[in-house]
Amino acid sequence: MIVKVDNLVKRYGNLVALDHLNLQVNAGEIFGLLGPNGSGKTTAINCILSLLKYDKGDIHVFDKPMSPEAYDIKKDIGVVMQDVAVFNELTVHDNIDYFCGLYIPDKKERKKLVDEAIEFVGLSDYRKFYPKKLSGGLLRRLNIACGIAHKPKLIILDEPTVAVDPQSRNKILEGIVALNKQGATVIYTSHYMEEVEQICSRIMILDKGKTIAQGTKDELKNMISLGEKITVEVFDITETQLKEIEALPHITSVIYDGKLVEIRSTKSKNNLEKVLEYIKTEKISFGKIYSELPTLNDVFLEITGKELRD
Amino acid sequence: MFGHIFVYRLKVLLRDKSMIFWTMIFPIALATFFNLAFGGFSSQGTFGTIPVAVVLESDNIAFADTLEKMSTGESPMFKPDFVTPSQADALLSDGKVAGTITVADTMALKVNQSGISQSILKIFLDRYAHTTRTVSRIAAIHPESLQNMDLTPVTFTKDAPITTGNLDMTLNYFYALIAMACFYGSFFGLEEVSLIQANLSRRGARLNMAPVHKLKAFIYSSLASYTILIGEMMVLMAYLIFVLGVNFGSQIGLILVTVFIGSLAGLTFGSFIAALVKGDANMKTGLLIGITMIGSFLSGMMFAEMKYLVQTKFPLLTIINPVNLLADAFYALYFFSTYNRYLLNISGLLIFTVIFALSTYWVIRRRKYASL
Repeated sequence: MIVKVDNLVKRYGNLVALDHLNLQVNAGEIFGLLGPNGSGKTTAINCILSLLKYDKGDIHVFDKPMSPEAYDIKKDIGVVMQDVAVFNELTVHDNIDYFCGLYIPDKKERKKLVDEAIEFVGLSDYRKFYPKKLSGGLLRRLNIACGIAHKPKLIILDEPTVAVDPQSRNKILEGIVALNKQGATVIYTSHYMEEVEQICSRIMILDKGKTIAQGTKDELKNMISLGEKITVEVFDITETQLKEIEALPHITSVIYDGKLVEIRSTKSKNNLEKVLEYIKTEKISFGKIYSELPTLNDVFLEITGKELRD
Repeated sequence: MFGHIFVYRLKVLLRDKSMIFWTMIFPIALATFFNLAFGGFSSQGTFGTIPVAVVLESDNIAFADTLEKMSTGESPMFKPDFVTPSQADALLSDGKVAGTITVADTMALKVNQSGISQSILKIFLDRYAHTTRTVSRIAAIHPESLQNMDLTPVTFTKDAPITTGNLDMTLNYFYALIAMACFYGSFFGLEEVSLIQANLSRRGARLNMAPVHKLKAFIYSSLASYTILIGEMMVLMAYLIFVLGVNFGSQIGLILVTVFIGSLAGLTFGSFIAALVKGDANMKTGLLIGITMIGSFLSGMMFAEMKYLVQTKFPLLTIINPVNLLADAFYALYFFSTYNRYLLNISGLLIFTVIFALSTYWVIRRRKYASL
């Protein structure tokens, strides 16, 4: 077990930030911590890293108890925090070299690692640039390089793509997958469900400091009743027709916003076919029609009754 | 690890323009301003030889003898030029002499402006006239007394120098300025604590996650800050001595030792404020500037009399103001030939430094944070 958290409780005054959190991260996986802002993701990470005091619980990393003086554990952890933490007075190369040097004292070995990290995040053309000259996306990449240059066994990334352009975001996500393929175990926190869905092998969904669900993305989606979401662009539809669609087998709800009809159904075969058949029979003129499988947002919505991005 | 952290901290701090401005450029600029503002003060208390035109309309041996005595020696008071009345007028109107003295039955002084030189000429002639009248009266009444008469001026006070050097009262301003510059080193202390505390900066959080002993990292990093601060102070001292020509007397070795101690006090003061005061970096920077400037003001940086006022009206303030302790240590070195007052100030400053350092340690030794 790479990380094991048992019954972790963290309070800020009367606010319970983490409520008996249990978490296990296995070697080689990309473990996603998903939840809205304020759900306790970063608090959990800071507790795991022994930065924060907590009220109750046990934390083990690499099967050893974690503490601020656990240098033998810390040397194998790489952390990329949400906020960029680099020196504006140092170049890209020097920033990476400085932070890598806190883990790797040997200069020769460090030089190789720093060069590899620069190459890995695609900053080779910017080695001598100062952070102020970098765009937001490039700055994020530098932040990542500073956290992973020493080739840690466990990499913790806390919302590394916040305020990043799509191109850099993809580059970052590809990089995380590549690091994982190279052997690193990854803990990835985000409130972007698409990212978590895209790269994580196992996901824990947090809300108000509590675990509300965990498993692979398929396991999570199987936990809910929603099987399919069909959206139809219609030009004219009556109230009666909407009610008749809702009365079709396995259909659970129909919402019409004046342009699009959103039809939700439980898990069943041929839902789309039945809806199409009805539309044809009723000669309802329509534009686009598409079907979606449930997302993690649907999982969150069904369990908590609110949107993930609330 | 020491070399790694030390070298990179040097790089970072030397490229921090704002830091270098406040800790080096600003004190140098202030020193230049002081020099421009007070540059003439020390020379106003000394007098040069006064050029004077003398027109002899009648022989006056006694006056000629007196004038000669006043115009010779190591630092003569007058430089007489014996001329005709028209030449005297020309010299006066050209400003080549401070005044003209016409020697007749009575003495006549002509000046065309007021000033210290003109006042001296007048006092000299008044004194001469008064003395000659007194002597004439004594000669008329008791001529026998003249033989025993001693005309040497009688003084009832005696100058006792407390220093071997030339006293320059404007030095007070420069001492307070050096003390201020040392305490501006507190910005370095502030920066170092921010860098080590996970709850004060993200870089601090990153360092806390690394396999590095926190206190060791803090000490290595602070040593880099101290090195730069000392370098800056040496530049300031060199500027004061070699460019502005400030004469700090003969105790330059001890002055430098005092600068070393003062810089350490400044650095630890910044760490102390950063560690103990809650609030963001801007608030703490403002607080440091405010405290240092008030401390400098109370030690006489903006208004020399303030030092005396505080000492007489609020003596406790002189002891609890570390900037004053430092400024007064320099003052004691310059103005007193014994080291009692100097050592008292240095001891106070060292006590403050220890309090600042221990308080900082007490806060930053915490390994985990209640919140980030």
